[in-house]
Amino acid sequence: MAKTFKHGTHPPENKITENSPLVEFAVPEKLYISLSQHIGAPAQAIVEVGDSVKAGTLIGKAGGFVSANIFSSVSGKVTNIVTLPTATGGEAKHIEIQNDFRYETVSLPEITVPTKENILERVKEAGIVGMGGATFPTHVKLSPSKPVDTLIINGAECEPYITCDYRLMLEKTDEFIEGVKLLMTALSVEKAYIGIENNKKEAIELLAEKCPPKIEVVELKSKYPQGAEKQLIYSITRRVVPTGGLPMDVGVVVNNVHTAYSVARAIKGEPCYMRAMTVSGDGVEKIGNYFARTGLTYKFIYDECRGNVAEEVTCKVISGGPMMGFAQANLKPATTKGTSSLLFLSEIRISKSDTTACINCGRCGMGCPMNLLPNEIEENTLHRNFEEVIKLNVASCIECGVCTYNCPAKRPLLQAIRLAKRIIKEKGLK
Amino acid sequence: MENYLVSSSPHITSPRTTRNIMLDVIIALVPCVIASVLIYGLYPLVSILLCVGSAVFAEWLFNLIRKKPQTVGDLSAVVTGVILGLNLPAVVPLFVPVIGAFFAIIIVKMLFGGIGKNFANPAITARIFLVLAWGGVMTSYVLPINLANGAGELVKYLSEAFNINLPAAITSATPLASVKAAIESGANPANGLSALNMFLGKIGGSAGEVSTLAVLIGGVYLAVRKVIDVKIPIIYIGTTAIFTAIFFANSGYVGEYVWTYMLGGGLVFGAVFMATDYATTPNTNLGRIIFACGCGFLTVIIRKFSTMPEGVSFAILLMNIVSPLIEKIIPKPYGHPKRSMMDYFAEKKAQKVAKGGSNV
Repeated sequence: MAKTFKHGTHPPENKITENSPLVEFAVPEKLYISLSQHIGAPAQAIVEVGDSVKAGTLIGKAGGFVSANIFSSVSGKVTNIVTLPTATGGEAKHIEIQNDFRYETVSLPEITVPTKENILERVKEAGIVGMGGATFPTHVKLSPSKPVDTLIINGAECEPYITCDYRLMLEKTDEFIEGVKLLMTALSVEKAYIGIENNKKEAIELLAEKCPPKIEVVELKSKYPQGAEKQLIYSITRRVVPTGGLPMDVGVVVNNVHTAYSVARAIKGEPCYMRAMTVSGDGVEKIGNYFARTGLTYKFIYDECRGNVAEEVTCKVISGGPMMGFAQANLKPATTKGTSSLLFLSEIRISKSDTTACINCGRCGMGCPMNLLPNEIEENTLHRNFEEVIKLNVASCIECGVCTYNCPAKRPLLQAIRLAKRIIKEKGLK
Repeated sequence: MENYLVSSSPHITSPRTTRNIMLDVIIALVPCVIASVLIYGLYPLVSILLCVGSAVFAEWLFNLIRKKPQTVGDLSAVVTGVILGLNLPAVVPLFVPVIGAFFAIIIVKMLFGGIGKNFANPAITARIFLVLAWGGVMTSYVLPINLANGAGELVKYLSEAFNINLPAAITSATPLASVKAAIESGANPANGLSALNMFLGKIGGSAGEVSTLAVLIGGVYLAVRKVIDVKIPIIYIGTTAIFTAIFFANSGYVGEYVWTYMLGGGLVFGAVFMATDYATTPNTNLGRIIFACGCGFLTVIIRKFSTMPEGVSFAILLMNIVSPLIEKIIPKPYGHPKRSMMDYFAEKKAQKVAKGGSNV
């Protein structure tokens, strides 16, 4: 029996790239490597214009504990430091590197006898962050302040379109399992679970066969948001993370499939400057799963993949999945450690319906994995009745988007919730 | 070209729209419409079409006069029209459907803000209004036609189009009216009633509610299409059965009362099509359970203790009115600490003591 959580929804999966093997993506002449590829303080540039770098050269040093090192992804010369828009809507400093197409690399020394301490140190040194898209620095997650007895690897990949974690599990199975073991050592836990949605049967079977007994593969029901941290923990362990709490409050640490893989690579000596990503959607021809270096502009990816599809077809460009990803205003941002997918979608694939009156059907609340009442939050937000909004527990919202997805009246419920959260924060209401 | 659409996530929405939900409800009502034609001939079809036409026209006219964007395209007025038509006796003077539909749409729905904002189910409220205004025509039910006598039976009642007083020869008592008489006399309520006829609908009653079979076909369709929450009809019908058994426990005919009450009147129709109306029912799980239990309880209370033989529409209307109160129960979000009733009372007591009140 596939395990699952309460409520949720099931958008069309559209995993059209699930059978495309991972291949290395082309590399442009100029790469733009962001110094802010993670949650937390931006990294500090430690190279200057004119410096020569190799793939794996440290070019940005972590700007604090909650921050991460940044590495060059190609060999060449630093030609500029510019401010560019980021995929998440802000701006960040980017280091422009002129590619010399020689792909010389430098690596960190290989760790042959991994221990708790040297794994943690290496994870920090190699700049590994949560590769599922949230990009929270992994070394922080691996230093919990409360006792932890379980590691959960998030292989749910519940967002439509995205298939890069699935391909990693299938093609880099041994390194991935190695990574899981390393994470277990780093956390000193005896039990790990790999949660995978049952639309990825092949991965479940393969991993179940290869994993040692202390790593258990858990079949999860294909349902969105199965990969949301709190829901995943509940599905697998039946533990409930308290409101405002972290997974470690219930003795769990959750890491993404790709994070485990990156940890295994880092122990071998390769810092984090490449990642698996999915390019998909009906606006491009060469859809597939790629190993992409960080610093490729979206424009370059689009030009490489577009093929014969007319430019006018693409109506929306999404970095991440269609449920929680970020719509792009232009193609200037560059790939980072968190770019799990880039979607080019045409008009028919996205929602453009007109908003009509709420019919009070309750589909938003019935789908809400946090058991909230989005329609009432929206109504009170529009009436600027924020005290009521707080009573409706708006702070518990995980912004998964199920409410807006489910709404037959096409009301922007999550958008209203975000607005309410922001106003409440700005006004300091409690 | 860098002219992409930018918006906050999610970027996709489900194919479900208000319009296709309403279309599903209309499809689910088709078996009832067919049943009403087979049972009473073409007359009910005429009054249903009149209801639909008047309802749509009323909404269109209201929006036109109020200079609001047109909303008739969402088909909810059609649903209201069909449900109202099925709620009327099979043969009513033709002004009744028109007035009923205008009342439902203008007074109950549009004046309160249109779709989703009405506090009570428009069709039910209109039916109650009509019963109060034209008690005679709204409570005289014709006998089912007999198709074995030829297709001519289908047009049998069309000549009564403007007749306020139907000839006694063609009218019939509803099963619940005879059950009501049995409550007073203490006789067996099932005397002269056939469960099969009641299930198929070969009895006197409102056009659409008589055939339990047709209603159930529609109900299954709505459940499969996930348009309605099946909890509501199941709990509603279930609590009606339970309370009937309780209230008639020492009548000597518990079983007879239970099955006549379940198959008679508009119970199944009301439970499937009217107690599940989105706008006027709570939209939380607990709220829906309370709502459905309340409907069941009130239905039995009205049927047994009031002067009326039937109580479904009043029960649903009363629960519609309390549903904003039921919705004040906010569900506990995931992760909030679970609190037992004892904790709750202990907390209340502590608050009272803290305020300086007496230690109760």
